[in-house]
Amino acid sequence: MHEAPTADRPVAVVTGAASGIGAACVDRMRRSGWHTAGIDLNDSDCELALTADVSDRSAVAEAVGEVVDEFGRIDLLVSAAGYYEEGIEVAAITVARWNRMLSVILGGTVNCCAAVVPVMLRTGQGAIVAISSELALAGSATDLHYVAAKGAVLGFAKSLAMELADTDIRVNVVAPGPTDTPLLASDSLWRQPDYLATLPLRRLVVPSEIADAVHFLAVDGSMYCGEVLSPNAGAVI
Amino acid sequence: MALVTGAAQGVGHATALRLASDGFRVVVNDISGDGRLDDLAERIGGIAVRADISEPAAALEIVETAADRLGPVEVLVANAAAMAMSPFLEQAPDEWWRQIDVNLSGHFRLIQAVIPAMRALGRGRIVIVASGWGVIGHPNATAYAASKAGLIALTKGLGRELGPQGIVSNAIAPSYIDTEQLTVDADDLSISLDEMKEQYRELVPTHQLATAEQIAATVAFLAGPGSSAVIGQVLQPSGGVTRTRA
Repeated sequence: MHEAPTADRPVAVVTGAASGIGAACVDRMRRSGWHTAGIDLNDSDCELALTADVSDRSAVAEAVGEVVDEFGRIDLLVSAAGYYEEGIEVAAITVARWNRMLSVILGGTVNCCAAVVPVMLRTGQGAIVAISSELALAGSATDLHYVAAKGAVLGFAKSLAMELADTDIRVNVVAPGPTDTPLLASDSLWRQPDYLATLPLRRLVVPSEIADAVHFLAVDGSMYCGEVLSPNAGAVI
Repeated sequence: MALVTGAAQGVGHATALRLASDGFRVVVNDISGDGRLDDLAERIGGIAVRADISEPAAALEIVETAADRLGPVEVLVANAAAMAMSPFLEQAPDEWWRQIDVNLSGHFRLIQAVIPAMRALGRGRIVIVASGWGVIGHPNATAYAASKAGLIALTKGLGRELGPQGIVSNAIAPSYIDTEQLTVDADDLSISLDEMKEQYRELVPTHQLATAEQIAATVAFLAGPGSSAVIGQVLQPSGGVTRTRA
């Protein structure tokens, strides 16, 4: 049953909300009593499920407008929309493949922040958590276009954090390690027992652990400004 | 059960209160001889163990006393610290050793003392309160920064070595915190407390000093269930101080 929106409950907007890390973030914030709005190519399990391609600036602006119409405010943006490709050497990264990855992961993050920051500035507070990747902290082979895009998200988020440092809007990054989501194919390198044995925790991260990190930054992160929190099972220390 | 060192004031005090409110039984340690440690222990229903962790015998004594009264240490918050500020060339060897002995060696021994019980349990959390200065350095605080950088390296090594046994280590690198220490810093510079706070705020992009409770919230995260995939990391609730304020 649809609960009537109340102004005193904070509002989370999550992109990529239909699956994996995004869906786990929606679940975590909802369990903490937040209103949830999801933006995804597919329908998501949120109070307000919006269908939009994050690489489309005007579609994102329209979706964020609907969130404001429904709830009147935005307290948290989680930019999680993305996709993953591996096993592709640099010479095989076509211009089309490169442009698409950059436009979804980096462009999507930028588009969402551009739409949400003015809303947060009206209330003077908020938290933005950009989902990057542990791969961007230390590099990775055969998924360079993905890692480059996630690395760009790091630079963008740190800079937006500085741009907003004088406000009470905090921008930070969560850089997940290899996480057990549908983005990792069943034959992914990151699922191989030989690889998992190299991790101090000897296992994949689960989506709820990423959501817990996001939740922490949303509720207790007011002194974090442009930082990277990486729940990665020890993949990068 | 959680053991918090340096708990008579500041971040350690706030951490003990926070962990107690999160449901931990808490053992508090400090060198302090005044009544604050006992008051804190009474307030949270924990126990106080007064000891100077730079004394080689202190670690086992603290951990055994804690275990006898409240059971094995499941969370160690390594927070106690000595700090003296002086220009590098004027620093006396005993100032250097005091900071290394308390901050680094004291916790080295304490970690060694808590690990056997954590191993037996198959789980444990070690939360090391390092310092932003251990990441980025600070003028006139080279020994302190070196001791804290040592703790960060210790955290990372412990993460790799003990992670497979279920013992998870992480560090926190806060920067300017609104605690009693600011009065000491102000006295060192012969300025008022308000002037000291403003000087520090000017170094922080968010222009904010952290409260002890804000840092304690990060300790609670690293001691709690929500950080189960975070290992060997350095969390910096520092207002973005890695870069100087534009």
